[in-house]
Amino acid sequence: MVKGRSIPSPDPRANHLLAALPDADYQALASNLERMPMPLGMAVYESGGAQGFVYFPANSIVSLLYVLEDGASTEIAVTGNEGLVGISLFMGGETTPSRAVVQSAGHGYRVRGAILRKLFESSGEVQHQLLRFTQALITQMTQTAVCNRHHAVDQQLCRWLLLMLDRLSSNEVLMTQELIANMLGVRREGVTEAAGKLQAEGLIEYRRGRIAVLDRTQLEARVCECYGVVKKEYDRLLSWVAPQGRASN
Amino acid sequence: MQANRLLASLPRKSYRDLLPGLAAVTLDFGDVLYEPGARIRDVYFPDRSVVSLLTVVDGHSELEVGLVGCEGMVGIPLALGVDTSSVRALVQGGGAAMQMSAAGFHKAFNASAPLRHGLHRYAHGLMAQITQTAACNRFHRVEARLARWLLMTRDRVGSAQFRLTQEFLSHMLGVRRVGVTHAASALQRRKLIEYERGNIRILDSAGLEAAACSCYPLVRQLAENRQGASVRKRTYGRRQ
Repeated sequence: MVKGRSIPSPDPRANHLLAALPDADYQALASNLERMPMPLGMAVYESGGAQGFVYFPANSIVSLLYVLEDGASTEIAVTGNEGLVGISLFMGGETTPSRAVVQSAGHGYRVRGAILRKLFESSGEVQHQLLRFTQALITQMTQTAVCNRHHAVDQQLCRWLLLMLDRLSSNEVLMTQELIANMLGVRREGVTEAAGKLQAEGLIEYRRGRIAVLDRTQLEARVCECYGVVKKEYDRLLSWVAPQGRASN
Repeated sequence: MQANRLLASLPRKSYRDLLPGLAAVTLDFGDVLYEPGARIRDVYFPDRSVVSLLTVVDGHSELEVGLVGCEGMVGIPLALGVDTSSVRALVQGGGAAMQMSAAGFHKAFNASAPLRHGLHRYAHGLMAQITQTAACNRFHRVEARLARWLLMTRDRVGSAQFRLTQEFLSHMLGVRRVGVTHAASALQRRKLIEYERGNIRILDSAGLEAAACSCYPLVRQLAENRQGASVRKRTYGRRQ
């Protein structure tokens, strides 16, 4: 950021997908981007509800959750400043069975779906970037399906922590065990046990409501292959993803 | 009469422009259309055939994450600007399909807005199917999941009788074969299916639907509504 300024001016290009758009396309969008606070727990969209806006997180993280009739939920994918939330608005699909909730607070930029769709239809490059992001998201969702079936809670917790860390600029995740349990779709006790294991191994430090990752390298060695598969795909498809974690601008 | 509903939903002119690039083929049970990481050479629009999308886990075992039948296209990454498949595409129900080369597909795709829209909507629907699978794998019991997959296969094959080996079923469900045997036996004991030497016969549709997990009505509705074409109304009897 520019030195000497006490308040940094809001820059939508903190979102890397926006930053990767050709200048002319970005300018076409820029005046329609609205800076929005994205507090913890905010519902970006609800299942079955109409989605009016597409969100581009700047430093927040959004969780796509599937909620069953009995209220149980499980996270299907996460999106931070590498992408956008609300692909239905340009993919033209019917309403989605999932809901999108802010899982790590911050801010982002929103634009009316109709405006983005217009740009999507008229600009080949925008279409290209958005669709490749969609493919990366599909891979993440697919891998979650696999992980939910095959891998133990402690490995799923590793995967979840790493996905979060890639989208945060610190090594600390602020989240209660209860919320993590909702994300992973397991009982709270399962999370307590898994976190305990990782702590005993020196990988994390867990205090009330926050998890600090102490040894990222070891965490990456411990996690199931699901993390690597998704990371590799995001790195491959999204030209704007920095190879190691997410560089803050 | 175009049996693939995605193609059938195209405006006449778009469809006529596509036709020269389409070749009628037969997909055989067990054919592998794509391996993960491999370049997509052809796309397929199934008629009565059914293709399983499988992820490869731990290097060898597999998990089914989606099913493609006459409601869609095998090779969706091409519509998203990605030229490799991230899953294994395996023919689970043999039958007719329309094939198109990747080059032909790109040409048709670029030339036809209706085709692009249809495919993007289909891709979105496929994501909903995968989302459902992720939740299902987390929460639902094996027996209920088996019932769901059997019904999804039936819907795409268009028959209450089809082949599904234990190996396939163990991939569909992500359980070992002993788990498959238990689940299939349970459904058989309830007189919902007959399962012998890899051949499945659905005896009681309504009962099987009641036994299926709640994912089934959701994915069925998604598949039927996807093209906005007339929904094939079927009466399956009352759910209890």
